[in-house]
Amino acid sequence: MRGKDVRLDKVSIRFGDSIAVQPTDLAIHAGEFFSILGPSGCGKTTLLRTISGFIQPTEGRVLIGGEDMAGKGPNERPTALIFQNLALFPLMSVAENVAFGLEARGVPRAERQRRARELLELVALEGFGDKKPADLSGGQRQRVAIARALAVEPSVLLLDEPLSALDLKLRQHMRTELRAIQRRVGITFIYITHDQGEALAMSDRVAVMSRGRLEQVADADTLYADPATPFVASFVGEQNVLHGTVAGLTDDIVQVDTPVGRLSGRVKGPLAVGEAALVLVRPERIALGVGGAPAGENVIAARLASRSLEGASVHLVCAAAGQNLTVTVPNGPNVRELPEELSLSFGTRDALVFPVGALAHG
Amino acid sequence: MSTATESAGARLVLNIYIGLFVLYLFLPLAVMSAAAFNSYDYPSVTQWRGFTLHWFVALANDQRLLQGLVNSVLVALGVIAVSIPAGLSGALILTRLGQRSGTFLYSVLVSPVLTPGIILGISSLIFWREFGVPGGLFVAVMAQSSFIASYAMLLFLARLQRQDRTLEEAALDLGASHTMVFRRITLPFLAPTCFTAAVVAFLQSFENYNTTVFAIGGEWTLVTEIASRLRFGLSPVINVVGVIFVVLTLVAATGYVLLKGKPKR
Amino acid sequence: MGSLARAYGRPLATLITGITLLWILVLILVPLGAMVEQSLWWRDSKGDVSLAIDRLYNDISLIELDRNAETDPAKQAAFDKALAEKQAEVATLEAEEKNPPKTYGFANFTRMSALHFYIFVRTILYALLVTALALVVCYPVAYVVALASGPRKAVILMVALIVPYAINELLRVYAWLMILDYRGVINGILGWFGVVDLDNRGWIPFLENPSAVFLAMIYTYVLFMVFPMVNTLETLDRNQIEAARDLGASTARIHRRVIIPHAKPGIAVGCIMTFMLSAGSYSVPAIMTRGQGGDWFSQLVYRQFYESNNWNMGSAYAVSLLVVCTAFILIMMRLFGVGLRDIAK
Repeated sequence: MRGKDVRLDKVSIRFGDSIAVQPTDLAIHAGEFFSILGPSGCGKTTLLRTISGFIQPTEGRVLIGGEDMAGKGPNERPTALIFQNLALFPLMSVAENVAFGLEARGVPRAERQRRARELLELVALEGFGDKKPADLSGGQRQRVAIARALAVEPSVLLLDEPLSALDLKLRQHMRTELRAIQRRVGITFIYITHDQGEALAMSDRVAVMSRGRLEQVADADTLYADPATPFVASFVGEQNVLHGTVAGLTDDIVQVDTPVGRLSGRVKGPLAVGEAALVLVRPERIALGVGGAPAGENVIAARLASRSLEGASVHLVCAAAGQNLTVTVPNGPNVRELPEELSLSFGTRDALVFPVGALAHG
Repeated sequence: MSTATESAGARLVLNIYIGLFVLYLFLPLAVMSAAAFNSYDYPSVTQWRGFTLHWFVALANDQRLLQGLVNSVLVALGVIAVSIPAGLSGALILTRLGQRSGTFLYSVLVSPVLTPGIILGISSLIFWREFGVPGGLFVAVMAQSSFIASYAMLLFLARLQRQDRTLEEAALDLGASHTMVFRRITLPFLAPTCFTAAVVAFLQSFENYNTTVFAIGGEWTLVTEIASRLRFGLSPVINVVGVIFVVLTLVAATGYVLLKGKPKR
Repeated sequence: MGSLARAYGRPLATLITGITLLWILVLILVPLGAMVEQSLWWRDSKGDVSLAIDRLYNDISLIELDRNAETDPAKQAAFDKALAEKQAEVATLEAEEKNPPKTYGFANFTRMSALHFYIFVRTILYALLVTALALVVCYPVAYVVALASGPRKAVILMVALIVPYAINELLRVYAWLMILDYRGVINGILGWFGVVDLDNRGWIPFLENPSAVFLAMIYTYVLFMVFPMVNTLETLDRNQIEAARDLGASTARIHRRVIIPHAKPGIAVGCIMTFMLSAGSYSVPAIMTRGQGGDWFSQLVYRQFYESNNWNMGSAYAVSLLVVCTAFILIMMRLFGVGLRDIAK
């Protein structure tokens, strides 16, 4: 099996009057584990179904391995799709399910059976070939779906939130398993999810999508540390959001007047003095100044409102000038008896300042 | 568990009412069945002349009725052959059409169910005469199929509504041709409904009188033959036919309840 | 067509579209159209055409006589010419007599006799009455089966309803014929008590009364009212009834405000089916009257086809019946606010 690259060339998709996907360019490398991450209704499933051939793009081209896919149906493309509900054929045995794609290609029966056995072995389901899908557990069904898709030796495997029906433990286990399978077969995986944990844990690169538009395409670390838009910043991980007005601007550092005082941060986008801006700070970047000198350039005086223990870390909700700020600190002996009055501080490099734009949660 | 919306007295009245209703349904059938065993040659239960199976023998020797039975089966098989493909096609189209264009087609395809049977018989009779085909078994098949196909379609539609569309997509995605998807995924899913629809079609056709009597011309089915016999006076042979129908129906209904009542594994 | 081809592939989409079109055209629409067309024309068999033909044959015989008496060839030729003219005239008139020209119009409808029109109206009124009575009789039955009995009792009741429903309608009518006949069950029982004297034909002629047809018809079609109502009532969440009761509603109010509104589509379907079946029933009146009486409209239609051999008139009668049934369906749909999709379930 050989992975192929997938390119979207100014692809846009409309259903009647509503625009499902805005004009989009995207290049997914051969052999890459690529995720498309976004809230439900953002157009990610539409995009996936366009790549697999169930939907024809209204405009633009889909190229797989450099070949234009226009006019090719899902049964003529080198892709295989794993459905959200898995779509295993309930009336066929597990082995027949796995061999179905080979049957469609006219592979002789003996060869089909041999390949089905091999693939069931690959997904650690040897001996389950004669069972019906209904007799398997959720995780086993999952692996049958993967084997069935791999049987047709696709160059690109498309996965539509296949883990969403599993419980948390199994989901985490399947993440590593999927990643391992991808490494073993070496083909391109395109993975759709609304779960950022899945996307960040498995993928080489992630595209964040919102309202039919790609917000950012980057590896997991970049997405987290250096988000391109307020949406990405607030969708991936947690953020404290403060509204304010730009007071001063020097190179890549900007000062913003907010209800909690003047804050400085990194410039993310076109800003000008006097304009509205958003200041975003991650809860774990805020340090508690309990006695001693504040650690960062930005200091906010706040009152402790509530505290919740998460295990390894502690979430604090602090109130400052009518704003609630969340602070995450590592659990330790000194967090049990925090004073009412706190001074919160963070560095200029930890605060990101965006022009006003859409956020992930309202 | 019954919902106690009414007092015990009201419940009693309701139960008596239901009892009377069931009695009303069954008493005439019981009278009809009993008369089949009376040796009096006029079907009667009030003038009992002794138990006999004579009328069963008479039925077995009645060539016209037996030929009618054969004709009924032929017509019913013809109706199955026409109405199952038609009903299936209609249902397949309707499940893929949009709400608006679908509703019009739906109305046309369902209209025969809501049309009086004699109208279907008459219109088929007139239509086929244009092609030089006189009333007979063939016209009866066509006339009955026009509405039995609608019943079949409704059964298929109900089944298709419960279909998981992604199964067909998955098969297509795995490289299957549309024909293979239909053969391996859609048809196996519809197979139980094909069987049910065939049974329903057979029964509907076998029982049909109002449509058939207009379309049958000079030929006859079991039912039209019975009807024309009744013109010339009652005969216990007809009661024997009735007994056979009642027994078969009871057996089928009991079997159905037992099968359905069995807990699934 | 595009979406069909995408869903089933071109060959299959063409096939199922073709079959469906055949069904619509060959089994539904064109036969219906043929019937309507048939109802809109008639052939006038004119008596004066036959008279004219008779007169022409007389003329021809006379001319032939004259011609045979004549010896002058010139005059003979003149006779021959006249003869040929007359014979041509006879030929056209005979063709016309054999195959009178079609005349289109509504005369088949307007020519319905007063008696037939009376039967038409009475049939519809009887069918309405059957429908109303069946509704009243069936509502409590449907209510008990669907909502007021345990699962075991409900199954038993369903079977008790399905068995008579599944037995051929002719036999159900026949059972009533046995009961009401001159020597039937009722007369027989009355005879035991000496109320009637069967040996001297002193029976009560129940069958000669139109209400015999009415009685058998209710028996035959009452179940078509029960099943649609049971089907819709079964989907009612019983908690709704309990909630209404809990809020202090009386039994009557619960039925009026909760149960009946929910049963509406079922009631509409039941009424439509019962009306359609009874208005168009041929079996019940034909058997109850042993093919003699002409009390029901469908019998008139049958006679036009198979006794008077007047298919045009028969078609007109059938179309009239169809129009009434369609109107009834539309009225019920409007009245109960249900669509066709709710109806055919």
